Amino acid sequence: MAVASLAPDAGEVDQLYIETRELRLQGFLFFLISDCVLFSSFIFAYLYMRNSGQGWPPPGVQRLDVAFAAWNSVVLFGSGATMHYALENFKYGHFMRYMWFLLATIVLGVMFLGGQAYEYNHLIFGEHVTWAGSGIFGASFFTLTGMHGFHVFIGVCYLTVLVLQSAAGVYTRGKYFGITAGTLYWHFVDVIWVVLFSIFYLL
Amino acid sequence: MNAAIIERLGAVIAGIVVAVVAFYALYKDWNSTGVENQVFKLMLLLLGIGAILALLAGLNVVGFAPPVKS
Repeated sequence: MAVASLAPDAGEVDQLYIETRELRLQGFLFFLISDCVLFSSFIFAYLYMRNSGQGWPPPGVQRLDVAFAAWNSVVLFGSGATMHYALENFKYGHFMRYMWFLLATIVLGVMFLGGQAYEYNHLIFGEHVTWAGSGIFGASFFTLTGMHGFHVFIGVCYLTVLVLQSAAGVYTRGKYFGITAGTLYWHFVDVIWVVLFSIFYLL
Repeated sequence: MNAAIIERLGAVIAGIVVAVVAFYALYKDWNSTGVENQVFKLMLLLLGIGAILALLAGLNVVGFAPPVKS
Protein backbone atom coordinates (compact mmCIF):
# COMPACT_ATOMS: atom_id res chain seq x y z
CA MET A 1 0.00 0.00 0.00
CA ALA A 2 1.39 3.37 -0.97
CA VAL A 3 1.59 5.66 2.03
CA ALA A 4 1.65 9.42 1.72
CA SER A 5 4.39 11.16 3.67
CA LEU A 6 3.73 13.86 6.23
CA ALA A 7 3.75 17.43 5.11
CA PRO A 8 6.31 18.85 7.55
CA ASP A 9 5.65 22.56 7.56
CA ALA A 10 2.90 24.34 9.38
CA GLY A 11 2.78 26.96 6.65
CA GLU A 12 0.27 24.91 4.69
CA VAL A 13 -2.27 24.96 7.50
CA ASP A 14 -5.39 26.86 6.58
CA GLN A 15 -6.44 29.77 8.74
CA LEU A 16 -9.96 28.42 9.31
CA TYR A 17 -8.53 25.27 10.90
CA ILE A 18 -6.39 27.30 13.30
CA GLU A 19 -9.32 29.48 14.29
CA THR A 20 -11.74 26.61 14.84
CA ARG A 21 -9.45 24.01 16.39
CA GLU A 22 -10.23 25.02 19.98
CA LEU A 23 -13.95 25.00 19.23
CA ARG A 24 -13.69 21.51 17.75
CA LEU A 25 -11.81 20.34 20.81
CA GLN A 26 -14.39 21.84 23.16
CA GLY A 27 -17.22 20.29 21.14
CA PHE A 28 -15.56 16.89 21.27
CA LEU A 29 -14.93 17.17 25.02
CA PHE A 30 -18.61 18.06 25.53
CA PHE A 31 -19.52 14.94 23.56
CA LEU A 32 -17.28 12.84 25.83
CA ILE A 33 -18.79 14.46 28.93
CA SER A 34 -22.31 13.66 27.67
CA ASP A 35 -21.24 10.07 27.05
CA CYS A 36 -19.77 10.00 30.54
CA VAL A 37 -23.15 11.13 31.96
CA LEU A 38 -24.87 8.33 30.02
CA PHE A 39 -22.56 5.68 31.50
CA SER A 40 -22.70 7.28 34.96
CA SER A 41 -26.49 7.07 35.09
CA PHE A 42 -26.41 3.34 34.36
CA ILE A 43 -23.48 2.74 36.73
CA PHE A 44 -25.13 4.57 39.64
CA ALA A 45 -28.45 2.81 38.98
CA TYR A 46 -26.60 -0.53 39.16
CA LEU A 47 -24.76 0.43 42.36
CA TYR A 48 -27.97 1.70 43.97
CA MET A 49 -29.87 -1.50 43.18
CA ARG A 50 -26.93 -3.63 44.22
CA ASN A 51 -26.72 -1.98 47.63
CA SER A 52 -30.46 -1.89 48.28
CA GLY A 53 -31.03 -5.63 47.87
CA GLN A 54 -30.66 -8.59 50.20
CA GLY A 55 -27.04 -9.49 49.64
CA TRP A 56 -25.03 -9.71 46.45
CA PRO A 57 -24.91 -11.48 44.04
CA PRO A 58 -28.61 -12.40 43.87
CA PRO A 59 -29.57 -16.03 44.52
CA GLY A 60 -28.83 -18.33 41.60
CA VAL A 61 -26.09 -16.13 40.19
CA GLN A 62 -22.41 -16.82 40.85
CA ARG A 63 -19.81 -14.09 41.18
CA LEU A 64 -17.94 -13.43 37.96
CA ASP A 65 -14.56 -15.07 37.56
CA VAL A 66 -11.90 -12.39 37.34
CA ALA A 67 -9.04 -14.25 35.61
CA PHE A 68 -10.17 -13.91 32.00
CA ALA A 69 -11.62 -10.44 32.61
CA ALA A 70 -8.25 -9.25 34.00
CA TRP A 71 -6.47 -10.50 30.88
CA ASN A 72 -9.07 -8.95 28.57
CA SER A 73 -8.88 -5.67 30.50
CA VAL A 74 -5.11 -5.50 30.09
CA VAL A 75 -5.58 -6.02 26.35
CA LEU A 76 -7.82 -2.93 26.24
CA PHE A 77 -5.55 -0.89 28.52
CA GLY A 78 -2.60 -1.86 26.31
CA SER A 79 -4.49 -0.49 23.32
CA GLY A 80 -4.77 2.81 25.19
CA ALA A 81 -0.99 2.92 25.54
CA THR A 82 -0.43 2.11 21.84
CA MET A 83 -2.93 4.80 20.83
CA HIS A 84 -1.13 7.35 22.97
CA TYR A 85 2.18 6.51 21.30
CA ALA A 86 0.52 6.61 17.88
CA LEU A 87 -0.42 10.25 18.48
CA GLU A 88 3.00 11.08 19.94
CA ASN A 89 4.76 9.58 16.92
CA PHE A 90 2.51 11.50 14.56
CA LYS A 91 3.27 14.75 16.39
CA TYR A 92 7.00 14.13 15.98
CA GLY A 93 6.68 13.16 12.33
CA HIS A 94 7.41 9.41 12.61
CA PHE A 95 4.69 8.40 10.18
CA MET A 96 5.41 4.68 9.84
CA ARG A 97 5.69 4.23 13.60
CA TYR A 98 2.39 6.08 13.95
CA MET A 99 0.77 3.70 11.48
CA TRP A 100 2.11 0.62 13.26
CA PHE A 101 0.91 1.85 16.66
CA LEU A 102 -2.48 2.70 15.18
CA LEU A 103 -2.78 -0.76 13.61
CA ALA A 104 -1.71 -2.35 16.92
CA THR A 105 -4.48 -0.38 18.65
CA ILE A 106 -7.05 -1.70 16.18
CA VAL A 107 -5.82 -5.28 16.62
CA LEU A 108 -5.98 -4.99 20.42
CA GLY A 109 -9.46 -3.44 20.19
CA VAL A 110 -10.67 -6.35 18.05
CA MET A 111 -9.03 -8.80 20.49
CA PHE A 112 -10.95 -7.16 23.35
CA LEU A 113 -14.22 -7.47 21.45
CA GLY A 114 -13.44 -11.13 20.72
CA GLY A 115 -12.73 -11.68 24.42
CA GLN A 116 -16.01 -10.07 25.35
CA ALA A 117 -17.87 -12.27 22.87
CA TYR A 118 -16.14 -15.32 24.40
CA GLU A 119 -17.17 -14.24 27.89
CA TYR A 120 -20.78 -13.61 26.84
CA ASN A 121 -20.84 -17.08 25.30
CA HIS A 122 -19.48 -18.59 28.51
CA LEU A 123 -21.94 -16.70 30.71
CA ILE A 124 -25.05 -17.29 28.58
CA PHE A 125 -24.50 -20.93 27.62
CA GLY A 126 -22.21 -22.09 30.43
CA GLU A 127 -23.64 -20.37 33.50
CA HIS A 128 -27.07 -19.43 32.15
CA VAL A 129 -26.74 -15.76 33.04
CA THR A 130 -28.93 -13.81 30.60
CA TRP A 131 -30.01 -10.24 30.08
CA ALA A 132 -33.67 -10.87 30.90
CA GLY A 133 -33.51 -13.98 33.09
CA SER A 134 -30.96 -13.09 35.76
CA GLY A 135 -32.60 -10.13 37.43
CA ILE A 136 -30.84 -6.86 38.11
CA PHE A 137 -27.41 -8.41 37.78
CA GLY A 138 -27.91 -9.81 34.27
CA ALA A 139 -29.71 -6.71 33.02
CA SER A 140 -27.06 -4.34 34.40
CA PHE A 141 -24.10 -6.44 33.31
CA PHE A 142 -25.21 -6.98 29.73
CA THR A 143 -26.52 -3.42 29.31
CA LEU A 144 -23.35 -1.73 30.58
CA THR A 145 -20.78 -4.06 29.06
CA GLY A 146 -22.79 -4.24 25.83
CA MET A 147 -22.96 -0.45 25.64
CA HIS A 148 -19.23 -0.29 26.28
CA GLY A 149 -18.55 -2.97 23.67
CA PHE A 150 -20.57 -0.97 21.17
CA HIS A 151 -18.38 2.06 21.95
CA VAL A 152 -15.26 -0.05 21.38
CA PHE A 153 -16.69 -1.25 18.06
CA ILE A 154 -17.37 2.35 17.00
CA GLY A 155 -13.82 3.22 18.11
CA VAL A 156 -12.35 0.42 16.00
CA CYS A 157 -14.32 1.69 12.98
CA TYR A 158 -13.10 5.24 13.68
CA LEU A 159 -9.48 4.12 13.93
CA THR A 160 -9.81 2.13 10.69
CA VAL A 161 -11.02 5.31 8.97
CA LEU A 162 -8.02 7.13 10.50
CA VAL A 163 -5.67 4.54 8.97
CA LEU A 164 -7.24 5.00 5.54
CA GLN A 165 -7.26 8.80 5.81
CA SER A 166 -3.66 8.87 7.06
CA ALA A 167 -2.54 6.63 4.19
CA ALA A 168 -4.26 9.03 1.80
CA GLY A 169 -2.37 11.96 3.32
CA VAL A 170 -5.38 13.74 4.84
CA TYR A 171 -3.50 14.67 8.03
CA THR A 172 -0.41 16.82 8.25
CA ARG A 173 1.80 17.79 11.20
CA GLY A 174 -0.09 21.04 11.48
CA LYS A 175 -3.58 19.67 10.95
CA TYR A 176 -4.46 16.45 12.74
CA PHE A 177 -7.46 17.07 14.95
CA GLY A 178 -9.07 13.81 13.77
CA ILE A 179 -6.20 11.84 15.29
CA THR A 180 -6.38 13.83 18.54
CA ALA A 181 -10.13 13.19 18.75
CA GLY A 182 -9.59 9.49 18.06
CA THR A 183 -7.01 9.30 20.85
CA LEU A 184 -9.32 11.10 23.28
CA TYR A 185 -12.20 8.80 22.40
CA TRP A 186 -10.08 5.67 22.78
CA HIS A 187 -8.74 6.79 26.16
CA PHE A 188 -12.31 7.52 27.24
CA VAL A 189 -13.38 3.99 26.28
CA ASP A 190 -10.43 2.62 28.31
CA VAL A 191 -11.29 4.68 31.37
CA ILE A 192 -14.95 3.60 31.28
CA TRP A 193 -13.73 0.00 31.28
CA VAL A 194 -11.61 0.68 34.40
CA VAL A 195 -14.87 1.57 36.18
CA LEU A 196 -16.89 -1.33 34.73
CA PHE A 197 -14.15 -3.84 35.48
CA SER A 198 -13.99 -2.58 39.07
CA ILE A 199 -17.72 -2.65 39.78
CA PHE A 200 -18.53 -5.97 38.11
CA TYR A 201 -15.44 -8.04 38.85
CA LEU A 202 -13.63 -6.54 41.81
CA LEU A 203 -16.31 -5.21 44.19
CA MET B 1 -1.29 -25.66 33.49
CA ASN B 2 -4.96 -24.69 33.30
CA ALA B 3 -6.42 -21.76 31.38
CA ALA B 4 -7.07 -19.62 34.46
CA ILE B 5 -3.38 -19.68 35.44
CA ILE B 6 -2.32 -18.69 31.92
CA GLU B 7 -4.87 -15.86 31.93
CA ARG B 8 -3.65 -14.64 35.33
CA LEU B 9 -0.02 -14.83 34.27
CA GLY B 10 -0.82 -12.87 31.10
CA ALA B 11 -2.73 -10.27 33.11
CA VAL B 12 0.17 -9.85 35.56
CA ILE B 13 2.91 -9.53 32.93
CA ALA B 14 0.91 -7.33 30.56
CA GLY B 15 -0.42 -5.33 33.52
CA ILE B 16 3.13 -4.47 34.61
CA VAL B 17 4.10 -3.47 31.06
CA VAL B 18 1.00 -1.31 30.52
CA ALA B 19 1.27 0.35 33.96
CA VAL B 20 4.94 1.20 33.39
CA VAL B 21 4.24 2.54 29.89
CA ALA B 22 1.25 4.61 31.08
CA PHE B 23 3.09 6.16 34.03
CA TYR B 24 6.19 6.81 31.93
CA ALA B 25 4.05 8.57 29.30
CA LEU B 26 2.42 10.56 32.11
CA TYR B 27 5.85 11.49 33.49
CA LYS B 28 7.04 12.61 30.05
CA ASP B 29 3.90 14.69 29.44
CA TRP B 30 3.76 16.14 32.95
CA ASN B 31 4.85 19.64 31.93
CA SER B 32 2.74 19.85 28.78
CA THR B 33 0.06 22.53 28.69
CA GLY B 34 -3.28 22.98 26.94
CA VAL B 35 -6.73 21.50 27.53
CA GLU B 36 -6.22 18.33 25.51
CA ASN B 37 -2.93 17.53 27.26
CA GLN B 38 -4.57 17.95 30.68
CA VAL B 39 -7.26 15.49 29.60
CA PHE B 40 -4.59 13.10 28.26
CA LYS B 41 -2.75 13.23 31.58
CA LEU B 42 -5.92 12.41 33.51
CA MET B 43 -6.70 9.56 31.13
CA LEU B 44 -3.14 8.17 31.38
CA LEU B 45 -3.33 8.26 35.17
CA LEU B 46 -6.62 6.32 35.14
CA LEU B 47 -5.20 3.93 32.54
CA GLY B 48 -2.23 3.23 34.82
CA ILE B 49 -4.55 2.66 37.77
CA GLY B 50 -6.65 0.29 35.64
CA ALA B 51 -3.55 -1.68 34.67
CA ILE B 52 -2.56 -1.96 38.35
CA LEU B 53 -6.07 -3.19 39.23
CA ALA B 54 -5.87 -5.83 36.49
CA LEU B 55 -2.41 -6.80 37.74
CA LEU B 56 -3.73 -7.19 41.30
CA ALA B 57 -6.67 -9.20 40.00
CA GLY B 58 -4.22 -11.43 38.16
CA LEU B 59 -2.32 -11.92 41.41
CA ASN B 60 -5.61 -12.83 43.13
CA VAL B 61 -5.25 -9.91 45.56
CA VAL B 62 -8.60 -8.45 44.49
CA GLY B 63 -11.66 -9.99 42.81
CA PHE B 64 -13.17 -13.43 42.97
CA ALA B 65 -11.59 -16.71 41.94
CA PRO B 66 -13.75 -19.84 41.87
CA PRO B 67 -12.31 -22.85 43.69
CA VAL B 68 -10.04 -24.91 41.45
CA LYS B 69 -11.48 -28.35 40.66
CA SER B 70 -8.95 -31.10 41.17
